[in-house]
Amino acid sequence: MKSEELSQIKQMLHGQGYIDDGAIAMSVFLAMKLEKPLLVEGPAGVGKTEIAKVMAKAMKTDLIRLQCYEGLDSTHALYEWNYQHQLLYLKMQEGKGQDIKALEENIFSDKFLLKRPVLHAITHPEQAVLLIDEIDRADEEFESFLLEVLSDWQVTIPEIGTIEATNKPQIILTGNRTRELSEALRRRCLYLWIDYPTFEKELAIVKSKVPKIDQKLGTQICAFMKELRQMKLEKTPGISETIDWARALASMHLTYLDKQTVEDTLGVVLKDWQDIRHTQDALSELLEKTGVTSRIG
Amino acid sequence: MKTTTAHQTELSANIVLFCRFLRNKSFTISATEEADALAAVSYLPIHAEDYFREALRSVIAKSQFQQAKFNEYYYEFKEQLKKATDSKAKELPEEKKQPEKKNRATQFEALKDWLNLTPSEEEKEIAAYSDIEVLSKKDFLDLSEDEMRLMLRVLQKMARKLVHQKSRLRKVSKRRQTLDLKQTIRANMRKGGEIQQLVFSQKKDRKLKLVLLCDVSRSMDLYSRFFIHLMYAFQNAYDKIETFIFSTALHRVSEILDNNEFDKAFATISERVPHWSGGTTIGSCLRDFTQHYGHGMLDKKTIVLILSDGWDTGEPEIMKGAMKTIYKKSKKVIWLNPLAGSPDFSPEAIGMKTALPYIDVLASAHNLESLKQVLIQLRSRRNLLYTL
Repeated sequence: MKSEELSQIKQMLHGQGYIDDGAIAMSVFLAMKLEKPLLVEGPAGVGKTEIAKVMAKAMKTDLIRLQCYEGLDSTHALYEWNYQHQLLYLKMQEGKGQDIKALEENIFSDKFLLKRPVLHAITHPEQAVLLIDEIDRADEEFESFLLEVLSDWQVTIPEIGTIEATNKPQIILTGNRTRELSEALRRRCLYLWIDYPTFEKELAIVKSKVPKIDQKLGTQICAFMKELRQMKLEKTPGISETIDWARALASMHLTYLDKQTVEDTLGVVLKDWQDIRHTQDALSELLEKTGVTSRIG
Repeated sequence: MKTTTAHQTELSANIVLFCRFLRNKSFTISATEEADALAAVSYLPIHAEDYFREALRSVIAKSQFQQAKFNEYYYEFKEQLKKATDSKAKELPEEKKQPEKKNRATQFEALKDWLNLTPSEEEKEIAAYSDIEVLSKKDFLDLSEDEMRLMLRVLQKMARKLVHQKSRLRKVSKRRQTLDLKQTIRANMRKGGEIQQLVFSQKKDRKLKLVLLCDVSRSMDLYSRFFIHLMYAFQNAYDKIETFIFSTALHRVSEILDNNEFDKAFATISERVPHWSGGTTIGSCLRDFTQHYGHGMLDKKTIVLILSDGWDTGEPEIMKGAMKTIYKKSKKVIWLNPLAGSPDFSPEAIGMKTALPYIDVLASAHNLESLKQVLIQLRSRRNLLYTL
């Protein structure tokens, strides 16, 4: 019976076109069961953010997304007072001779509270999925803000008090290690590391995302990507690049890779001019390893 | 019924044991993780071992390194547990736990094996796996090309982090941050005190100006390549940075580092600088710096970093004069001497001795860990502390 639930999760991921290798399904399953946030780390473009999207879709609930950036603070993540409305309200009440205390209570009430993603997620009428994307980009200060939400499912607003979650949201945090996250944050989460996929997994992903792709082309693309990732690049391409490339080539109705095509479309895969240059220099060798040139001649 | 409960307790005991085993392998596992692990297992089909292992892994391992190592440790533990149960096949599960608790008194060979490992060996094993961990203690001289590359990334991260320091001063912000009451009222005075416009404030960025002076003479040959790496990392993270290299003459290399990828920058620098790996006249080079650039580049917001071993072949008086000027005009002078990393170092070189009174921080910076300490110094003011 218990294994059924796990396989349900697997099917759920599968149903949304997400190919997993067991570890991902297990982490998602446990995060849901233990009601813990899930911290997902891995290189860029391996489908970290996708997990949250897929979960929201499968649970048929809202995905609330908080994109982190340097300088993100609590007013953008948790809550903010709607100052303009407060002022207008005060203006309207002027001359009515209202009790100051009552007025103050009114001003700092739910009505004038702007809910930012985190508060929004915990006060959501049904269980939502909260995606805190690229947490490592935010400052360390912000991490500490999050701790209260992550472990106690509540947000404290000095003027009002503590707001507890109506429904514990499913929190997914992602990061790609531009900065080491604090021990405190890690402890509160389950951890999942997603690496670049194996050849088989990548092929399965390509097939599921680009169904019309030619079998041979798909295989060649994945083999090429695998070799490409072995190179020392500034920005190693992820799965999303593979999918983009596969889409591009499939839409050109190609059935196999050749050197010219690769050269022309390299910009889809590599986003750094130095990388493109290095790769162009080593292209023949790369293609040989992939087994492309031998077939052509 | 009875068997399942027995099975459960044995399983729970083993999970606790396993947690203890992992703690010895320098995993940080708190009671929360243990509780989670026990809870997680209760959701799973008991007989599917793969599930079991994966579940434990996602609950217990909290970093990439730990996840990578988890399976290995899991099987290692299982092996030992198996040996332990085999040799005392008829023992009850509770008793099986005890020898492990007692540590040294254990009679199980297998358990002895891993207990006998000295911690240092174990640390080594772990460190060898985790790139950055090992890098931070390794002398820069021993770095391979790949490690150098990795090191550069780490340095760039550190440099970038330093750029984004916040000052305690606040300034008016266009973004809605903290409401600035004083400014709000002031701005609305001309509207008859009617508050229409809100003014917000945010913390000011603390702008750090940096001057790097790097010795590339022969005595520093082994380290200078690394230091150029360091300068490159800084140059690409900061706006206000000037970089010079010197051996017998001073060369400004800021622009070369700014506009090129590392390998090319390095090649250009070694090409352009004629006395690369020659002798050193630190004093006269520093004097050149103060005379030609000092006026424009040095002020009380600037930190001066000098990378040199202090082997000066010139006149100590010149050195003294130059160092004095730099010290007076700058916010802080940090001298990085890679030789200072060795335990029996004392500032014997004449150059070093002469410069010593005019240095705020003398540090070794021969490995990443010591360098980190130096970078922390960049945040603080002059405090007349010598860190050796």
